[in-house]
Amino acid sequence: MTGALTLDGIGVRFNGSPILGSVDLEISRGEWVGIIGPNGAGKTTLLRAITGAFEFSGTVSISGSPTSKMKRGAIARSVALVPQHPVLPPGMRVVDYVLLGRTPHLRAVTGPSFHDLDVIARILEALTLTEFTDRDVTTLSGGELQRAVIARALAQESPILLLDEPTTALDVGRQQDVLELVDRLRRERSLTVVSAMHDLTIAAQFPDRLVMLAGGEVVASGAAAEVLDPALIRRYYGADVRVIDDGAGGIVIVPVRSQERIIDSTN
Amino acid sequence: MTPGEIRPSRLRWWWLAAALAALAAAGLLSILLGAVDLDAGSVLRSIVGRVPFVHIDSGLTERQEAILWELRMPRVVLGGIVGSMLAVAGGAYQGSFRNPLADPYLLGAAAGAGLGATIAIVYGPSVSAFPVDPLPLLAFVGGVGGVAATYAIGYSVRAGRTPVTLILAGVAVASFLTAVQTYLQQRNADTLREVYGWILGRLSTVGWTEVWLVFPYVLVASAVLLLGARRLDVLSVGDDEAVTLGVEPSRVRLLMVLAATLGTAAVVAVSGLIGFVGIIVPHMVRIVFGSSYRVVLPLSIVLGATFLILADLLARTVAAPAEIPIGVVTAFFGAPFFAIVLRSSRGLGS
Repeated sequence: MTGALTLDGIGVRFNGSPILGSVDLEISRGEWVGIIGPNGAGKTTLLRAITGAFEFSGTVSISGSPTSKMKRGAIARSVALVPQHPVLPPGMRVVDYVLLGRTPHLRAVTGPSFHDLDVIARILEALTLTEFTDRDVTTLSGGELQRAVIARALAQESPILLLDEPTTALDVGRQQDVLELVDRLRRERSLTVVSAMHDLTIAAQFPDRLVMLAGGEVVASGAAAEVLDPALIRRYYGADVRVIDDGAGGIVIVPVRSQERIIDSTN
Repeated sequence: MTPGEIRPSRLRWWWLAAALAALAAAGLLSILLGAVDLDAGSVLRSIVGRVPFVHIDSGLTERQEAILWELRMPRVVLGGIVGSMLAVAGGAYQGSFRNPLADPYLLGAAAGAGLGATIAIVYGPSVSAFPVDPLPLLAFVGGVGGVAATYAIGYSVRAGRTPVTLILAGVAVASFLTAVQTYLQQRNADTLREVYGWILGRLSTVGWTEVWLVFPYVLVASAVLLLGARRLDVLSVGDDEAVTLGVEPSRVRLLMVLAATLGTAAVVAVSGLIGFVGIIVPHMVRIVFGSSYRVVLPLSIVLGATFLILADLLARTVAAPAEIPIGVVTAFFGAPFFAIVLRSSRGLGS
C-alpha cells in the first residue's frame, strides 16, 4: 500500500442537484494537500467520496486500485477520516472510542488481539492521551477530543489520513498543536494527508499544496502563494483580503474592509 | 503505556457470575412458591436425581413430582426464555436505531402479533379442524409481517432515509394494524376477554410444548445478536462515521432487526404482549455495567430471564388463586423500580 491517491472526474449529486462537478486530483504518497474554498464548495463531500460513503461518478484510486472494487473494510484500512463534527456516544470511554478505529482489522468473534492493544497503546502515548483512557468522551475539552478523534483514525493504520476542518473549534494554541501533530505523524508514518481547511493563513503554512474548490469544481491548485491570490479570493469567497509576506518565506491572509463598502454604508 | 494497561470495556466474568447467581435464585424461588409449596431440599434432590446415572430419592410424592416437572419447571423455563429474548431484542434494537426507546414492539411487531392473535381467537372456532393451534402461528406471522411492512415503507422513502424514517414508518404501521385489531375485537365482543387476556400477556404452559416450540428461535436469534454486539458499538458513532470504520450500517441493522424480530415474534406467539422488558432490562444493565453492547447484550439475556421469572412469580402469587396478567406486573413493579434506578444514575446513555 503506497498511499498515492488519484481522483478522476469525481462528480456527486444529492437529490438531483450537483454538489461536485468533475474533480481531478493527483496526490502522491506522503504529500499534504489542503482543500480550501468557501462554505458549500464541496470540501466535505469530496473527502467523504474518497471514503466511499456514497455513490459518485468517476473513480477514486488508492495506489492504483479503484475503491469501487474494494470492500468497506479494505477501504477503511486504506483511508481514515477525522470528521468535522464527530458523533460522541455518551458513556463511551476514550479507550473504547480509539479502539473503534481497529474495527476494519478485527474479526467479529475474537475481539482485539495483543497486537491491536499494542497499536492502541502506542497511539495513546504518541497523542498524550494516556491519562484520559478511562474518561467519558463527552467530557473531553476541544483539544483533547480532537486528539482522541485523530487517535481513532490512526488506529485504522491506513496510509491516507483525511481531516475535515480539524481546527475549527479550537483556540489558536490548540490549532497549532493539532496541525504540528498531524505534520509530525505524517513524517513518522509517511502518511498522505488531505485536509479541508477554513483558515487561509493556516492553510498557507502547513500543507505542501493547496487546492481551491468553488461550486464543486477545482478553480485553483498549486503552491500557497499562487492559490492565495487576492483576486481569486475576492472572486470565489466574495472577500477582500490582503496577502502579506511575513518576511520569513510565509504569507499571512488578512481580511480588510473594502473602501467601497465603507463608503456604501456611510451613505 | 503497555498493551496490558489497555483495558477496553468487556464482559467481566464476575458480572456474568453474579447475574447467573441471581437467575438461579429467582428460578429456585419461583419453583418453590405457588399454590402448593415445595421444600427446597427435596426439589434440589429431585433435580440432581434427573442427572443421568445419579439415583437419589427426592422424597417428593408422585403428585409433587408432577407439579414440579410438568407445571412449575416448564413455566419458569418459559418465563426465562421469553424474558431473555425480549430483553436482548430490545437492547439490539436500541443499538441498531441509536434510540433509547426502540424495541421490536415499536416497529410493528406487537401490533402485528396482536392482530394475528385476535384473528385466531375471533375466527379460531370456525377453523378448529386445523391440525395445529392457529394462535401462535398467526401471532408469529403477524409480528414478522408488521416489522416487514415497516421496513418496506421505510425503505421506499427515497430522500433522507434514516433510522428515524424507519421508526416513523413503524408508528404508522402499528397504528393501522391496531385499528384493524380494535375493529375486529369490538365486532366480536364475546371474545373480548380472551383477546385482552392475550394482549396483556400470560405464561401458561402445557407441559414442555411451548418451551420446545420457541427455544430454537431464541437460541439462534440470541447467537446472531451476540455476534453483532461489536458492530452495534461501531454504529453508536452514527452511520456516516461507521462507514469510514469499515462497517455497512444498513446491513448490520437489517441483520440485527431480522434476528431480534424473529426471536421476539416467536416468544410473543406463546406469551402474548409482555411489555416493558425490552426497555427496562437493557437500560438497567447500561446504567450499572456500562453502555458497550458487548456487555449490555449478554447481561440482558441473563437478567431479562431473571426479571420475567420474578414478575411471573408475583403474577401468580400476589392475588392467588387468581392470576394477574404478567404484562401488568412488569409495568406495575418495573416502572417505579426503573424510575428509581434512573433517578440515581448520572444520566442515560443512548
